[in-house]
Amino acid sequence: MSNAQILRTPTDWNNPDMQRRIQKRYASEKRFRLIGLVSVALSAIFLAFLLFNMLGQGFKGFLQTRAEVTIDMPAMTGGASVTSISGPNAEAAINGLDLQGVAQAAITQQYGNDQGKIFSSSVGNYLKLQLLDNPELIEQKTTFNLPVNSEIDIANKGDGDAESEAIVARLEKAGTISTVFNMDFLTGGDATDPSEAGIWSAFKGSLMTMVITMLLAFPVGVLSALYLEEFAPKNRLTDFIEVSINNLAAVPSIIFGLLGLVIFLSWFGMARSSALVGGLTLALMTMPVIVIAGRNAIKAVPPSIREAAMGIGASPMQVIFHHVLPLALPGILTGTIIGMARALGETAPLLMIGMRAFVSTPASGFGDPSSVLPVQIYLWSDEVNRGFVEKTSAAIIVLLIFLMAMNATAIYLRNRFENRW
Amino acid sequence: MTITAMLFMLLGLGLIAWLTGRARAIALAGNGKSRLNSLPNYHGWYVLAWVIIPAAIFTLVWQNISPVLITNNVLASPDAVSLPSDAGARAAILSEARNIANGVQDVAFQDGSEKLVDDYRQATSLYNLIQLIILGIIIFACGAFAFLRIKPDFRARSKVERLMLGVLLAASLIAIITTLGIVASLMFETFQFFTHVSVSEFIFGTEWNPKKHTTPGEYNGYGAIPLFWGTIFIGAIIAMIVAIPLGLMSAIYLTQYASTKLRAWMKPILELLAGIPTVVYGYFAALTIAPAVRDFAVMLGVSNAASDNAMAAGLVMGVMIIPLVASMSDDSIAAVPSAMRDGSLAMGATKSETIKKVLLPAALPGVVGGILLAVSRAIGETMIVVMAAGYTANLTANPFASITTVTVQIVALLTGDQDFGSPQTLAAFALGLLLFCVTLMLNLIALRIVKKYREEYE
Repeated sequence: MSNAQILRTPTDWNNPDMQRRIQKRYASEKRFRLIGLVSVALSAIFLAFLLFNMLGQGFKGFLQTRAEVTIDMPAMTGGASVTSISGPNAEAAINGLDLQGVAQAAITQQYGNDQGKIFSSSVGNYLKLQLLDNPELIEQKTTFNLPVNSEIDIANKGDGDAESEAIVARLEKAGTISTVFNMDFLTGGDATDPSEAGIWSAFKGSLMTMVITMLLAFPVGVLSALYLEEFAPKNRLTDFIEVSINNLAAVPSIIFGLLGLVIFLSWFGMARSSALVGGLTLALMTMPVIVIAGRNAIKAVPPSIREAAMGIGASPMQVIFHHVLPLALPGILTGTIIGMARALGETAPLLMIGMRAFVSTPASGFGDPSSVLPVQIYLWSDEVNRGFVEKTSAAIIVLLIFLMAMNATAIYLRNRFENRW
Repeated sequence: MTITAMLFMLLGLGLIAWLTGRARAIALAGNGKSRLNSLPNYHGWYVLAWVIIPAAIFTLVWQNISPVLITNNVLASPDAVSLPSDAGARAAILSEARNIANGVQDVAFQDGSEKLVDDYRQATSLYNLIQLIILGIIIFACGAFAFLRIKPDFRARSKVERLMLGVLLAASLIAIITTLGIVASLMFETFQFFTHVSVSEFIFGTEWNPKKHTTPGEYNGYGAIPLFWGTIFIGAIIAMIVAIPLGLMSAIYLTQYASTKLRAWMKPILELLAGIPTVVYGYFAALTIAPAVRDFAVMLGVSNAASDNAMAAGLVMGVMIIPLVASMSDDSIAAVPSAMRDGSLAMGATKSETIKKVLLPAALPGVVGGILLAVSRAIGETMIVVMAAGYTANLTANPFASITTVTVQIVALLTGDQDFGSPQTLAAFALGLLLFCVTLMLNLIALRIVKKYREEYE
């Protein structure tokens, strides 16, 4: 110990300078941690704000205000009977009754001349649907709950102008106003009047587009994933394929819209704004996502399984299709669902191929003009009429529910079939 | 014959072919008396392929040549003598007659087209009959050929597998075809655009105000600089100011500090943020954020604050990008060997010092790669800017002003009712090509950085 050189004096932890330095370091540590927590929280708060904002506005879109009108059908339709409006020509017979006029006359009787300010312009159509369901109403004096127009509807939900508020107050006093669940929103098509607009035509269009996307993107994606992962020799061609796929997955979606516009519409002359072209365009966009997910899933299947199958005499093709693919399928499906969910929410490429047409009746075939949910949301968001604000949010809720269901399925599949080898 | 009917017919024939091929193989094997080279199913697939593929190829070819044949046949009819000699008028009449004959159109507008309808109907049914006969011959001949080749020692499996390999390769080639399709279609339209507008005006011009009719040699309002600036300002500046710190810090917090439980909750929430459709973000930005930003700007004393401002679009886009930055940073931080972290902690560094001085510098290339990918996503993003940013080209650094971007202008140019060949429509493709090239470059660089960096520690 005598002359052993002390390289450095031992740390004096009680030195006030040292204490201060340590405090400073700990404080900075805490600060850093807090910043991290705040950034995570900010994302969560933003998401919560967005969702509550949509829910708060959107739930009103699922409600519809109606007011009572008593209509003496036999007197007003000149004695039409059940037999005259049933049978194969029921619809034509009912159309001949001028129900719009009937409703307007009845409304004028009860509410005076300002009926146009209260009721929706679709009351005739509403009565027609009622009569189609219950023809016997034609011989009775019935009290109908007719939909009101969108100003009154907004006022009833608490956000209207003074005049409409006054009418609502009057109706409430009379006890004739009621709020019901708006089935028409789920079953109706697009309309210029927000009180009539519904999402069914857009929803059906979305489903049809997804069917086409799925039918094309899934097989092609899986097959090319199999080729690239299991058979591809290492050469220029396969390198190029690989780079192409990785790049396609990152190309902006609007570029796929331009591609669809030039190739499918302009060069091949396919039907504009049809589910077929929409599906084709989205399939090209979704395919790379499926390929990348598929390759990862195939890569995860351990080589021992391939070797075992080879060992008992299976050909490479049999190994792939009998052993590797079934084991990789849950992973591929998860990736596919995620890719499809992204395609379902895509708007820009569909705008490019003209899927922004006004579509009130659902498309009946893949070649008919159709709309899709995200585009419908976009179109409604541009409407000046205030009644469309809640409709837009309500449509967004439907879209988000659908997307969450798809993502939940993907997560479930991933957890259920997750294999550990 | 319609495509759907054709498809079902081919599928039905395929099933029959499969069953007969399989049955013949089994019969030839004679209940195991002689050994088959391939399983019976492979013989079935072999016959099926021979029946369906030539028939499908023939149908595809016929779809393309039959209209020409039908038109020639109609032109040869006596009614066609009265057709005008002008090629354009002739084509219009012929196409109208064809539409009426096929039931696409009800009433004739052009003189003389009605006369040709019957000729068209006759020619169509004649060529449909010819098609059916040739198709029948092809299916029968090919099917019989395949059927007769089935012998116990016939190597059906290797043939079917070779075909299968071809199918797999063809599926992967679709990616290349798509890429080439994108490049070719954009290039084609862009070249046409540059016959109307000079390249230098497009790239260096500072005024964007597209005119429908252009005069060569003059300035036509196709200067794209304001659009480039708007795109960079919103996508690469405002959005990144939001996304980089929040994304990076979220990733650091979730991987280094958060409890397992918090992580289990927060990861899906971040993923949810990534899964929300952009049209929803756009609506939210336009309806809620943009007015709030404008009110805030007015409060600050900015007089010319617009209701569709760059700030709102950039903020919301930044939030949309957070999960992307977070997951890329997460990956690259996790790829740093834990020995480096443990070493730093063992030296007495605090966690934050370790992160700032060891983990982040080591993970930097991966983080930068992630940020490049995020920028590429942001500048290609369409719906948020279409709904929340403006349509007026504006060369300003004021975040509360209305600014337009490349994608907004593509949408604006293509959703009007211009005719396809007008310079306005073509300009959209020039912008699209530019966007494609820029994002392609960013992606290539980013992928290269990320990949190279990952290999370093392995």
